Formats: sequence, structure tokens, C-alpha cells
Amino acid sequence: MLSKIKSISLIGLEGNLIDIQVDISNGIPEFEVVGLPDTSVKEAKKRIESAIKNSGFEFPSKKILINLAPANIRKEGSCFDFPMAIGILIAIGNISQIDMSIFDKTILIGELSLDGKLNRINGALAMCMEAKQLGIKRVILPKTNANEVAIIKDLEIIPISTIYETVKFLNNEINISRVIYEKNINRSEYKMDFSEVKGQEQAKRALEIVAAGGHNCLMIGSPGSGKTMLAKRLLTILPDLTVDEIMEITKIHSVSGELKKDGLVSKRPFRTPHHTVPIATIVGGGKIPIPGEISLAHNGVLFFDEFTEFNKTVLEALREPLEEKKITINRLSGNYKFPCNFMFVASMNPCPCGYYGDLEKTCKCTDFEIHKYLKKISGPLIDRIDILIEIKRPKIEKINSKAKSEDSKEIKKRVNNARKIQLDRYKEFGIYTNSELTTKLIYDFCKLDDKSTILLNEAFTKLKLSVRGYEKILKVARTIADLESSKNIKINHIAEAIQYRNLDKFLNM
Amino acid sequence: MQRKLIEYADTIYPEKLRELKNPPSRLYTCGNIKLLNKKGISVVGSRSNTQYGEKMCIEFTKNLSEYNLIIISGLAIGIDSIAHKTCLKYSGRTIAVLPCGLNNIYPKQNIDLAKNIVKEGGLLVTEYDDNTEADSKKFLERNRIVAGLGIGTLVVEGGYRSGTSVTAKITQELSKPVFCIPSSIENKKGFITNKLIKNGANLVTNVEDILNCFENIKFKKKRKSLNKKEEKVIIPKELKLIYENLEDEVLDINQISRKCKISIQEASYKLLLLQMEDFIEELPGQRYKIKEK
Repeated sequence: MLSKIKSISLIGLEGNLIDIQVDISNGIPEFEVVGLPDTSVKEAKKRIESAIKNSGFEFPSKKILINLAPANIRKEGSCFDFPMAIGILIAIGNISQIDMSIFDKTILIGELSLDGKLNRINGALAMCMEAKQLGIKRVILPKTNANEVAIIKDLEIIPISTIYETVKFLNNEINISRVIYEKNINRSEYKMDFSEVKGQEQAKRALEIVAAGGHNCLMIGSPGSGKTMLAKRLLTILPDLTVDEIMEITKIHSVSGELKKDGLVSKRPFRTPHHTVPIATIVGGGKIPIPGEISLAHNGVLFFDEFTEFNKTVLEALREPLEEKKITINRLSGNYKFPCNFMFVASMNPCPCGYYGDLEKTCKCTDFEIHKYLKKISGPLIDRIDILIEIKRPKIEKINSKAKSEDSKEIKKRVNNARKIQLDRYKEFGIYTNSELTTKLIYDFCKLDDKSTILLNEAFTKLKLSVRGYEKILKVARTIADLESSKNIKINHIAEAIQYRNLDKFLNM
Repeated sequence: MQRKLIEYADTIYPEKLRELKNPPSRLYTCGNIKLLNKKGISVVGSRSNTQYGEKMCIEFTKNLSEYNLIIISGLAIGIDSIAHKTCLKYSGRTIAVLPCGLNNIYPKQNIDLAKNIVKEGGLLVTEYDDNTEADSKKFLERNRIVAGLGIGTLVVEGGYRSGTSVTAKITQELSKPVFCIPSSIENKKGFITNKLIKNGANLVTNVEDILNCFENIKFKKKRKSLNKKEEKVIIPKELKLIYENLEDEVLDINQISRKCKISIQEASYKLLLLQMEDFIEELPGQRYKIKEK
């Protein structure tokens, strides 16, 4: 007898509906899976056989042929175990009460363990979201995946724990409650705050601008000046995630198996890869590519500590993702697309010994050494960084002082306000923040009055700024103006923006 | 630029070079050849200098060129370039002795500097014909001309086993004085200067120490045309507060905002304006100080 049910396969983050056709006929007992299965799908045969037996059903000693259609797409992963097992059970007539047409709009996903229970799978959220897009109305999946998919609207999700339960359910012998759509996402609070950072007023101000305009930022400072501490707290002033953003993040995290038990990723990701990391881990890779750090940092912050210690090829690989906000990985089996709209924050020392320009310690490096050290970062990469700040080591009295400084909540209020202004302004242009402005849009939205133009031109010759910094200054000035809810860019906005480009000449030394 | 070939027999061939053990048979020059027979100090030092070395080099070269002394060096990176650059900045004259032909200036990053030297009335000298390329042997040969052209040699910084020590040695052989700027014992690049001092070279802490060594020569200080009148700095009202705070000490932007009780935004705006008007200058580490006029 023949049975036909549906499942889904992911290529990158893109879903493809897969028809699972099971045909059981008389003949020498055999179990064959065709339709470009990879090793993990082929191995499913053993799991299915044991799982069916241990669930109290009989495994047919007949000729079983399973076809995964369309046959030209490579299928991978263990999520086909469950639909294949159910397909066999339908084909041998264990599930008789049902109307086969319900399977037109239903998909099954899940991995089997030998005792007939369903195991958690990776990428459940991505699969369900894609399935919904492809017109599916109902998803049957392992109970352990139920938490993460609860935020999807208008999709009937049935959590299942064993094969036996599924058969009973499909035979209408028992009732299983659907996963309830969860509208309110409980967002976890951060355990840190900007008020914990003493002094560093300029750095805090710079990070406020970074957060408000979604700019990339490079911090240069001596060891122990608090670069990492500041970078981590950047999260606390970023605007709250929208539901769409949460879904996007969770989707990527679920594909790469990074998801924890509780399901959703409700905080902005903060990724800090170590500087020895290979290139495939950063951009995504593998025989069947999984998202890399840049995609895991989607809608969040990618932080490179000790920027200069990273492998040069790794740094240069960041160039395109920083511009395109997405990455395509080409493999023989297809093109895998992952989004990677992240804020890039990096930190480094000013010189090999770390104390160039420090107040107390003297730098022991020679000019040549400093030059060599700074040369590790290429011009085009600096090009893509809007804000450069120098972090100074605070004096010990400062750290102990009890002087109150602003907490994250107040800063966040201003950031949210500035973001709202930007959203309204760029509604028609398909961008969200000032950092995404293209050259054409810059000239539309960042108009300067005469006084500011003169100041900017003078600053260029006098402070020896590099020309490529020009647009960056305009973008940052736009953000500063937005923070003050000012419609036009004024001279003091431009002047402040120039200060965040001042390190240019140091890096070009 | 006009190039000129000077043969050993020419009258313009500098007398000082004839005193060398193996004087160059001819000199290829580019620029102002009158400088060859004027009094100058050779300034030499390490190619990889420290910040201290840079500071000292600038300090001494600046003052030397104010006494109308020509600065002679080797156009290498590090101390050599700093000496040339400082000299040009304070409108002094400088001679660069090349280890290569005039068409193959080495190191390449100093080609612009070489052009500037000629443009500002300085001179490039070499004993190699136009297309010769630099190599390590020529660096040492070049050093004898550097030592020969000056009335004395100022050693700024130098590591163990460096070309600097060769120049100093040749200077001593010519019985000319060697001046050394002392360094911390911990400073690797202070090895040569400290060693030379130990062996009897002149320890100098200011330019007058150098000038006093030449009893028969009178040095005239250049008349400064710049400060005709003691101009009072006129600071715009709104920038005055920051300026006054900077008068006593060097401050970074955070300290300025705290002291003047203004926001970072305001401070960075005003600091930029002050910078643009040349009232203050920025130091490494984003610290600011009053610019000396």
C-alpha cells in the first residue's frame, strides 16, 4: 500500500516542502530510502525499525521503499525519522481512521529515539515559519520543541512525545492540546548597567550615539581601561527587540543548534569570538553550511576583542557582510543565505605594549613597531567603521568615587527616541538607521548649512582627516542631531562628529 | 631640480671630506650645493626610535636650526627622517646623504621628504651614480660622509650594534666631537648613547652644551620674524573657560568636561573650535594642551 505525507527540509534558512512517499509491497524483506538522502537520513532506517517495534507495533517484513520528493534536493538531518515512521505505519494500515487529505496541509518533523520517543530537533522555529509561508496549516513536532515555536501566529502546532501517542491521536482516540500562541514574550533583564562604569563620560556618550544610529565602532585604549566592560553594556541601551526581530534571531539560533531549553532568544545576542577563530566559524561554513558568528550576532552586537590579533583573512572576510547585511555561502549542494545585520564593535590597544598615550605608564614601543601593529587593520575595514574612540584608563580615585552617573534606562530612552525619528524618516527607503544610509541618501538627508560646511572643510585640512571619513562624519552628525530631536544638522553636531573621526590620522600613521 | 656632479678636483668639493680616510671621488648632488661648505651638525640615531627619542630629536633639531646650523642626516626612517622633517618645519636647511643613486631614493616612503628637502633649499648628496640601488654595505659607507660633513655629531638614540655607532666612531677618528643625549638604562635604544658617554663622549642636555664645545665659532641666533610683537591671544568668550583650565595642565576630554561642568557634547564641540583656531593641540591619548606660539 502507498502512503504520502509531508515534511520540510531547510537549505540555509530557506524551507522546501518534502513529500515522503512510502510504498510497501510483497517480496524479499528490504528497506530502502531514495531521493538524495545524506548519511543521517540513511541511518534513520535502523532507528525507525527499533522505534516502531518498541512502540508496540509490528514492523512489516516486506519490501519497503521510501522516496523523498523532490528527488533533486539534498536531504539532511534527523528530522525525517518521525514522518517516515508514521508513513510506514499508515502504509501498513495501523492508522485507519483518518482521512488522508488532512496530510495535504500538515507537516511532521522529529527525530526518533529507539524507545519510540521523539527527540528535540534543531531549526524547529525556522521550519515552522517557512512551512507557514508555504501554506501549511498544521505542524506535528516533538514536545520539547514546543516552547520555541509558540510565538508563531495562525499555525496549529501539535506537540507529541511518542509514536504511540501519535497513532492514537491520528486515530482520534485521544486529544492533544495545541500549543497556545504566546503573544507576550517575557523579556529577560540585563544584569549590568552603564552606571557601573565610572568616569569614561566620552566613551559613554560615543556608545549612546553608536546605539542610536546603529553605527559600527572601534575602541582603542590601554589594557584595563574598560573597553570590554563598556562594550558589554552597549546591549543595555539598545532598543528592545520587536517580535519580528526575536523570530529572526531565534530562527538562526535554532538552525545552528544554539538554542537553550527555554526556547526563544529574547535578548539581543552579544557574540565575542576569540581571536584565534577560523574563518568558517565567523562567516558560516561546513560541508552543509551552518550560520557563523556574524549571523548569530544578527540584530545584536558582534564584538571583536583584541582586534589586531585576529587573522587578517578573518578580518577582511567581514568587509562584504558589513555592507550587504547578509551572507551567501556557496556549496556544491546549493547556495545558503543567512542574514547578518549586526553592529560591529571592536577593541584594540594603541600599540604592542598597550600604553601609547597613557598618562601614567610610558610606552616602550618604537614608532616602527606601532606602525607595524596598526597596519594589521586595512584601510577598507576602517572605512566601514563610523566611530573611533579612545578609551583612557580612569584614575583609581575615580573608580572608588560614589558620584552618580546616568543609568542605562535614561540613555535608552533617548536612544529609543532617536531610533523612532529615523524609522519615520526612512519609511520609504527600506532602511532603519542612519548607519545604513547610502551615498545618495546622505546628500538628501544630511544637508549642512554654510557655517558647518566651512568648519568641516577646514577640519579636513587641519586635522589631516582622510577623505573616506567624510560620509561617516555626516552620518554620525545625523545621529547626533536625531538624539537632540533636531531637524537640521547644526554646527555643534558636525563638530562632535569630527571628534569621533579624530583617530583617523593615528591609524594612518 | 638641478643636479650637479662635483669631482674631487673641483674647488667646490668640500674640504671637510678630503680629511676622510677614503674620501668619495665624486659627489652627485641635487639642490642647493652651497650648503656643502656651511657649518652643520650631523644628527644620527636608530631607525626604530622610541617616543622619547622622537621628542628629544625634535627638541634639539629645532634649536640647532635656530642657530643657523645645517642639519645633516641620512634620510633613513626613524630619527633621520624626524631630524629632516623638524628642520624643514622650522625653516632650517638640511642635507640628506643617500646610500643610493638619486633616481632610486631609499627608503621609498621618504621620496616625498627628499623632494621637500630640495624644494625648501636643502640638498641631497650621494657618491653613487644615478641608478644605483641601496644595500647594507652602502649604508655604512654613507655614514662616513654624514660624519665628515658635520662639525660634530649628535647621537640621539641607538641600539646595540647599529650604524649609529659607526658614524660616531668615524666622527671620533676625525677628531670631531660626539654629542650624546642620555637615555634611561632600561631603554634598549639608549644603549649606544650611554656607552659613548661612558667612553668619554660629550653628554648634552641642551643645545647650548653643543655650542659651547666650539669655542672659536660664534653662533648667531636667527632673528625670529614671527613674533614681531608679543601678541596677546584673543580667545572667544565661550571658549575661554576651557582654555583657562588647560593653561595649568594637560587634560583629556573627560577631565575637561568635569572641570568646566559642561557636557561631553559641548566639550568636544568647543575643543574642536579651539583646535581649528590653533589655540590648543592634541596629544596622543586624546589629551589637549595649549599650543606654543
